[in-house]
Amino acid sequence: MLNSPHCNNLRAQLKSLTQEFLAGDWLVLIASILCVIYLFQTLWTNEHAAKVQIRLGDKIYATYSLNQQREIHVHGKLGDATISIAQGKARFSKSPCHTQYCVHQGWLTHAGQAAICLPNQISLELLGETKPYDTLNY
Amino acid sequence: MRKPYVIIALVAALVFGAYLLSREEPLYHTQSYVFGTLVDISIYDEDDERARSLSNHILQDFQSLHNRLHAWKPISEGKPSELGQLNSTFERGRMLTNISPDLVAILVDAKVLSVKSHGLFNPAIGHLIGTWGFQRDEFSAVDVNDRKIKKLVKSSPSMNDIVLENNTAYSKNSAVKLDLGGYAKGYALDLAANYLRKQHVNNALINIGGNIIAIGKHGDKPWRVGIQHPRAPTAIATVDLPDGWAVGTSGDYQRYFMLKGKRYCHIIDPRTGYPAQHTQSVTVLVAPQPANQSQAGVLSDVASKPIFIESPQNRSKAARELGIENFMVIDDQANIFVSTNMVKKLNWLSPNVKFATLQ
Repeated sequence: MLNSPHCNNLRAQLKSLTQEFLAGDWLVLIASILCVIYLFQTLWTNEHAAKVQIRLGDKIYATYSLNQQREIHVHGKLGDATISIAQGKARFSKSPCHTQYCVHQGWLTHAGQAAICLPNQISLELLGETKPYDTLNY
Repeated sequence: MRKPYVIIALVAALVFGAYLLSREEPLYHTQSYVFGTLVDISIYDEDDERARSLSNHILQDFQSLHNRLHAWKPISEGKPSELGQLNSTFERGRMLTNISPDLVAILVDAKVLSVKSHGLFNPAIGHLIGTWGFQRDEFSAVDVNDRKIKKLVKSSPSMNDIVLENNTAYSKNSAVKLDLGGYAKGYALDLAANYLRKQHVNNALINIGGNIIAIGKHGDKPWRVGIQHPRAPTAIATVDLPDGWAVGTSGDYQRYFMLKGKRYCHIIDPRTGYPAQHTQSVTVLVAPQPANQSQAGVLSDVASKPIFIESPQNRSKAARELGIENFMVIDDQANIFVSTNMVKKLNWLSPNVKFATLQ
């Protein structure tokens, strides 16, 4: 294949193309490669969570991407809870429970973070590429 | 002419790579609300069906233990829990009551631990805990009745007031009201770990409301546990739990209420009758214990309380008296203290965490 006339033709074309490259072309090429590497690293790292898993009782209720703006209403043991998702983070924003500990937990932003509402039996956990630990001691 | 081989090799590598990526870890994981809290069980390297039935067995055991040992909730209308019945006979004076052998064993063990902790771990102060409003599913700020609290402290209910003979019990002090809130979860951990070992499960992690015990490993790595930050929805550090080790935390952030800007948590100093307010959290890491002593699960539940309650200068002493070598304290000013042995075991999750070492 590498010695076929067609391939030789392509190589010649590529060679003439790169010879015609100006400094600016190289700059654009290098910048775009760096940009791709940067995006790859920031978007594919473990630290930033990608999804939020909502559990209701002993079942997984649903898993949502964090890359959106939305409110989710879940009917728990006591009543309706509202969970907000906003660009990479999630939280309990409304809960029918008395203590409101779950709402006070605030925004969860990193993989492995969790908020539990014991009275209403709903929990949130942010999921990333890998789990930083197997379980949480609290 | 080499072309087909190259392509075949490439495709094979891609398929193998995709297989490696897609292969599910042999980890069974379940979460359930029993025991009035969240129970989280992980079982590694067992058939999913078997792991599910083992977990269900454990959850049923927890539920029945919960019903029997509940400090304030009757099993059904007019039918108190086993502990509730015992408490009502304690209240009526020197009356002999039959109790089941495992409850006898629990009370004997709790008594030993209470004595060792000089009464800082005291499951006999149920009346005090009730007065502070912590014997409710949903608690809120209470009117602090100083006179009533003083009276309850003066009645000095103690585990030593309970006399146990041939599966019977009575109390020499009618002020004794048992609340095993600081013991039962740890006991349940030991129960579950023993059950799984008898069933030849080699790798599992059990978490009952934050108290955790490990069996074996998570594949080729030890089980890893995150320790909750007392004031942020995140872990502050992780520890690896070797086979048979347990970890427990007492915090002022799980059950508390705010009153006039002050935090009142559920951990009550039996000496004063008031919630301890100088500590945010205490974490203890417990090694497997000899068979004739309090087990690791129980110790992980019990031992954090005396350290939480004890004055700052006596924390190490409180730990030593219960045989705890690995512990971490976060005080009300967010200062972190770590025992010498524990320092090596903690992996901080943020850089430059400042802490002092305790001997």
